[in-house]
This record gives sequence, structure tokens and C-alpha cells, in this order.
Amino acid sequence: PFVKAQKGKAYFKRFQVKFKRRREGKTDYRARIRLINQDKNKYNTPKYRFVVRFTNKDIIAQIVSASIAGDMVLASAYAHELPCYGLEVGLTNYAAAYCTGLLLARQVLKMLEMDEEYKGNAEATGEDYSVELGEGRRPFRALLDVGLLRTTTGNCVFGALKTRSPTWISGWGLDIPHSEKRFAGFSKDSKQLDAEVHRKYIYGGHVAGYMRNLMDDEPEKYQSHFAEYIKRGIEPDGIEEMYKKVHAAIRADPTPKKSEKQPPKEHKRYNLKKLTYEQRKERLIERLNALNSAAGNGDEEDEDYE
Amino acid sequence: MPAGHGLRSRTRDSFSRAFRKKGTIALSTYLRTYHIGEYVDIKVNGAIHKGMPHKFYHGRTGQVWNVTKRAIGVEVNKQVGNRIIKKRIHVRIEHVQPSRCTEEFKLRKKKNDQLKAEAKARGEVISTKRQPGAPKPGFMVEGATLETVTPIPYDVVNDLKGGY
Repeated sequence: PFVKAQKGKAYFKRFQVKFKRRREGKTDYRARIRLINQDKNKYNTPKYRFVVRFTNKDIIAQIVSASIAGDMVLASAYAHELPCYGLEVGLTNYAAAYCTGLLLARQVLKMLEMDEEYKGNAEATGEDYSVELGEGRRPFRALLDVGLLRTTTGNCVFGALKTRSPTWISGWGLDIPHSEKRFAGFSKDSKQLDAEVHRKYIYGGHVAGYMRNLMDDEPEKYQSHFAEYIKRGIEPDGIEEMYKKVHAAIRADPTPKKSEKQPPKEHKRYNLKKLTYEQRKERLIERLNALNSAAGNGDEEDEDYE
Repeated sequence: MPAGHGLRSRTRDSFSRAFRKKGTIALSTYLRTYHIGEYVDIKVNGAIHKGMPHKFYHGRTGQVWNVTKRAIGVEVNKQVGNRIIKKRIHVRIEHVQPSRCTEEFKLRKKKNDQLKAEAKARGEVISTKRQPGAPKPGFMVEGATLETVTPIPYDVVNDLKGGY
């Protein structure tokens, strides 16, 4: 059957592509403009964003400032760095997000030599903690950048850990403007944050609860679901202890560990390597000379093309 | 009813966005910084309705005299009657671009300073003044053959052969 072409030449000629990162679905420009815009009378003062992104297996937290050449990352922390501090499983849950954020914050403060002044909440209580003004420098200010996340209230109501809510700040010594409305444990009816619930989430209490449930009800599912936990001998009661230790380890030494990387192995080339511009020009000269010497042998002219 | 003379009258084309450049504005407009005394071009961005200058200033260049949170104060020359007034307007950043009118001058200044420093090191005196374009030098025409052209006597018979 003859199908009429829908998108002709005219369509493509008039088509305006969206920005590349919009096409990739990675950047929300409306939000980005508002996050980056700095008051002109503050000239070159950088405006830092506290960027949190969740992938399927990792959490990325960065402090970024924008420039025309490209965004400059001041410091970054990844959930896959947490094994150094003693956390090997559950690297994308609420508690791990808390740990990653803590790691980043302490790293930044140490970098800027403010870590003695702004200790933040030594013991995460789940309450809303605002950084108090220290004696000398004002606290490091960053704006939370969630990217394309849907900002729903915690994971508390559903417990299924599908929504990735990043835990927000100030427990760590950075000044990030926020409201406690979206913390896990905030109740819409009473318009109040239940600090106990939030604290439970920070220490993986919801994970521990689920573990206990499964152990009693469905042991096989428990085996398959929490296989890594079992392998490392992590019990539901020990989870809170584990996270406490990780927090302490992070506060002790937040600097990133450099790992030894071997130089990449040389692979066999299966296709021809592209010649450079100079190499191509040389080849052309050689071929012309060869052609001239073959054709004009009687001419005795050696035409050298420069 | 007659066409009005409103604020944005006759701006249908000048304020419209370019072909295939509509939509989100590139972020570099927001990241640029302007200092007092710099030259800027005013080019209205029809997508941003706030802080738009009057259509007269579209395409003008002026100096920055004030910097506020989201806008720049620009001093532009305007001819009013028999004199030119320096008008001070405030324009949002989206309608402003850094001007390149002084770029060539600044580069030349830097180069001249460098040349003068080098000449001083050598002990010479050089002039860095620009010279206006001189008449072209004389040259010999290559490969010219002379063909002398002379008039031939008028031949009635041959001329009428074409058509009569």
C-alpha cells in the first residue's frame, strides 16, 4: 500500500532542534537558568549548586559552579566511594544518600578549611537542623539541584523505595536553603515533621524493618533479596550501628582516596587508522610525483608540488 | 481605524526571534559579567518581556553606567532635534551583548605596548601610528602583446550585405 510521506523536505528544513542536553533528556533548562543566574552586582562571585543525581546503582553528589566554558566541579562524592568507609551494600537507599551527602559536605568544608568551625550535627537526629552562624566565616552556601527528580515527601508512606528522595543538608554543616516539608516523616495532616521517622530512615531503619518482615514471612525472598547483606553478615539489628560507624569514619577523613590505575592496555587495531592532514598531503605529493615520473618520462621534468 | 503609535509599534520583525532560534535562551547570556565603562550592544530578545528597552535603542551601543541585580544601566546617544542627548536606560541582561567595537583597539593597544617595549630594549625609536592606505605601487604588465588598431575606410557594399 502506498503511504503518503508525513515528514517531507520542508518539515526538516524548518525543524528546530532543542538544546542537546534537552534532547538527551538530562537537563531542565528552566530550572537551570534560575539556579545559575547570579546577581550582576555580585560580578564573578560563584553560585554553587549542590547537585544530587541517582543512577540505578550509584549516587552522585557534587558541588558545582557554572561558567561559560563549562561547569566547574568543586568537589564530588559518589556512593561507590562508601566501601572505603565500611558501607558495602545498599548503595542507593535513603541512608546511603545521607552518607554520600555527608561525605561531600565534609570534603568541601575540609577543602575550604571550615571543617572545624562548622561541625554540623554530630549525631543525626532527624530534626531540622539549621547551620548557626560561626564566629568567623559565614557557612558555605549551596543551592540544591535535583535535576529531573520528582520531589515527593520522603519514602515513608510507601516504603517500597521506588522514589529516590535525596536527603538534604544542613545536618552536615553546609547552608542549603530548604524546607522540612519533604523530609521522610513529614505529615501533611499535622504539617509537622516527625523527627523519629526521619531519623529511622537516615539509619536505614526502614530497610531493617523490611529485613525483619521478610525473615519471618518469606525466608526464600529474604535470601534472594538481601543476599549481599547475608554474605557480609549484616543483621537487621546491626544496621543502625553500621551506619553510625560509617558516619564517624566519614567525619574522620573525608578526603577522596586515590586508587592506583594501570595505564590502559594496548588493543589490536582492527581498522585502518585515519591519517592526519599532513600525512594526507604528503601522500598526495608522492602520488603526483609518481604519476609525473611515470607519464612524463620523456619530459625530464621533475615537477615537485609544494 | 489608524495604526497606533504604542510602545512596541512597528516591532513585529525586529523583536521577533530568529529563524530556528526560538525557545530556551542560551545560558551564557546569564553568565556574562559587565563592568562600568564597558561598551555593550542593545539587542532586544523578544522572548523576555521584562526589562525591554524601547524600540529606538534596539541596535544601539552604549557604555555601562550602572549594574543592578538583573539589569544593566546603559548610556546611549540619542539625537533629539538639533542636539544629541546621552540617555541613561536600564536594560535586562537578556537584551544586552558585550560589544566588540573596542576589541580591535584593545588588541592594537596591547600589540603596540609590546612593540614599544621591545624597541626600548633594543634602543630604537619606532612609530606605532597607523598609516592610511597609500596608492598602489607601479608595476610592469607581464606578457603583453601589442596590437595596433587602425580605422578602415567605409565600405558601403559589404555593410549592406547583412540586411537591407
